[in-house]
Amino acid sequence: MESSITQAPSGKLGRAGKAMKIKADRSPSERAFVGFIYAFTGLFALVCLLPFWIVAINSFADESAIKRYGYQLIPRIFSTGAYEFLFRGKQVASSYMVSTTVTVAGTVLAVLITAMYAYVLAHPKVKYRNVLSFLTYFTMIFGAGLVGFYILIANWLHLKDTLWALILPYLLNPFFAFIMVSFFRTLPYEINEAATVDGANDLRIFFGIILPISKPVIATVGLFYALQYWNDFFLALLFIDDYKLHPLQIMIRQLISNINIGAYVGGSQTNYGQPLPTYSVQLATVCVTIGPIFLLYPFIQRYFVKGITIGALKG
Amino acid sequence: MPIVREIVRNKYLYVLALPGLLFLIVFAYVPMAGHLIAFKKYRLADGLWGSKWVGFDNFKFFFLSDDWYKVTFNTVFLNGLFIVCGLGIALLLAIFLNEIHSRLYKKIAQSLIFLPYFISWLVVSMMTFAFLNTTDGVLNRVLIDNGMDPQNWYLKPGIWPGVLTFIYVWKFAGYYSIIFLAAITGISGEYYESAKIDGATRFQQIIHITIPLIRNVLIVLALLGVGRIFYGDFGMIYGIVGDTAPLYPTTDVIDTYSYRALRQLGDFSKSSAIIMYQSVMGLVTIVIFNAIARRIDKDSSLF
Repeated sequence: MESSITQAPSGKLGRAGKAMKIKADRSPSERAFVGFIYAFTGLFALVCLLPFWIVAINSFADESAIKRYGYQLIPRIFSTGAYEFLFRGKQVASSYMVSTTVTVAGTVLAVLITAMYAYVLAHPKVKYRNVLSFLTYFTMIFGAGLVGFYILIANWLHLKDTLWALILPYLLNPFFAFIMVSFFRTLPYEINEAATVDGANDLRIFFGIILPISKPVIATVGLFYALQYWNDFFLALLFIDDYKLHPLQIMIRQLISNINIGAYVGGSQTNYGQPLPTYSVQLATVCVTIGPIFLLYPFIQRYFVKGITIGALKG
Repeated sequence: MPIVREIVRNKYLYVLALPGLLFLIVFAYVPMAGHLIAFKKYRLADGLWGSKWVGFDNFKFFFLSDDWYKVTFNTVFLNGLFIVCGLGIALLLAIFLNEIHSRLYKKIAQSLIFLPYFISWLVVSMMTFAFLNTTDGVLNRVLIDNGMDPQNWYLKPGIWPGVLTFIYVWKFAGYYSIIFLAAITGISGEYYESAKIDGATRFQQIIHITIPLIRNVLIVLALLGVGRIFYGDFGMIYGIVGDTAPLYPTTDVIDTYSYRALRQLGDFSKSSAIIMYQSVMGLVTIVIFNAIARRIDKDSSLF
């Protein structure tokens, strides 16, 4: 990517010397160009950050400040009232339980099923793997459609208002399956042959040998699934009416569209004089929902980068 | 029979594949029977098999109304905007990020730019509301502070293709820039070195080396996007626009329209006809454009 400049002079000046050398190499128009590049990317990055800031900081704003001054860059009056209200109620706890359960159970099951399936698609011994591949691929280009899907889950399987309605539909994502297929294809078949000689059957080979060495792709695909489950609101929107089973995303939606926040959040009104912290509670719920993602972001970012690169470029 | 022999010979492998296969059958293929409802007058009491056939009546109803054109146009137009702006800005970002020598700056910028990809559309909707809210939104407050009139942004359908495109770019430019960056780092340094020897500026190097060599990636991504042009992003549009009816003229896409027909009107037949229409159009465009994309870049594992 960078040309001869990357051969950093290993002399005493090192990094600084390289920078000086670069600066000296450039004409004014080049430097303007570079300046523009830094400004553009910096501005874009700031615009990406800004909404997060507004949401986070205003969740700590006093409701009266929001009503008087609107959503501010730096709130004039701080208060943790929104969070107090939120955590005193029962809804956020149950929504958190639902979201977490669905995400954990869904991810574990999905990764297991996808890995098993992808392994077979990639296995040279399987004569019909191209048929299976095509059947899988076909579902990516022609869907069953909303109506069939809805009737299946609600009427035929009777899964309305159950956690399974939130878990089952995403257990095998063809795109993620093909990422795993790519990976399994890179494993040398000698491993299988050696294990077979030692008397292992295919199940033992898969669970005992292949899975342990597939940790990177499992982690990557697992994170993709986890993100999908955590962020989904479509399934709950369609199939969950019982508010005790509302995942966090639907809780946010309820707060936006529902006027009766007090009853929904389940917080008891201890101070009747105080206004219901409507706006700040909405933001507090959002913060609580994206909190885990924010905290885990530094650790999981590179898995997603890896996964996207592999998925798109087979590289 | 050969198939039985094959399964018996590799029985453990087929056992492994069984859950996945079962899933595909139950959740992907069985519901395709729902497409039949497009040709029936569906009544809950009659179920799918009991409802009577009405041929193409449901389609007639849909195509004779104004709605089909508006909804199709919105879907195609919005997706088109998303593809052009999303990929375009992602490409710029990737090229620019590649030029940045300060590793710290680059790392922080990349992390921030990628971050929006990770949050759900409901959260994005909340953020949009915080900015565009009539009484308390950041934008209107800024206008008031500067002596201008606040506007009710949620009542102006005309601006929303722009708003949605902005949001789309905000959320996905980072994601696509990763793909472009991977392609850029794959370019051999020798090209740049010989160009430098020939006296090319960095800007010229970008124009004449970087861009042509990742052109294929851009084209493939664009073609794949166009293939799916009849599929609107339901999560995005329903999450952000929701049931704000004044905005339907410019933001209602096939997916939200059919969702409302199903869930709010309870009209399974109408919804099914629209979805059948979308699935057929979608199949045609996906097959055509995927085939073109495959011609251009045989190695890509996107298919």
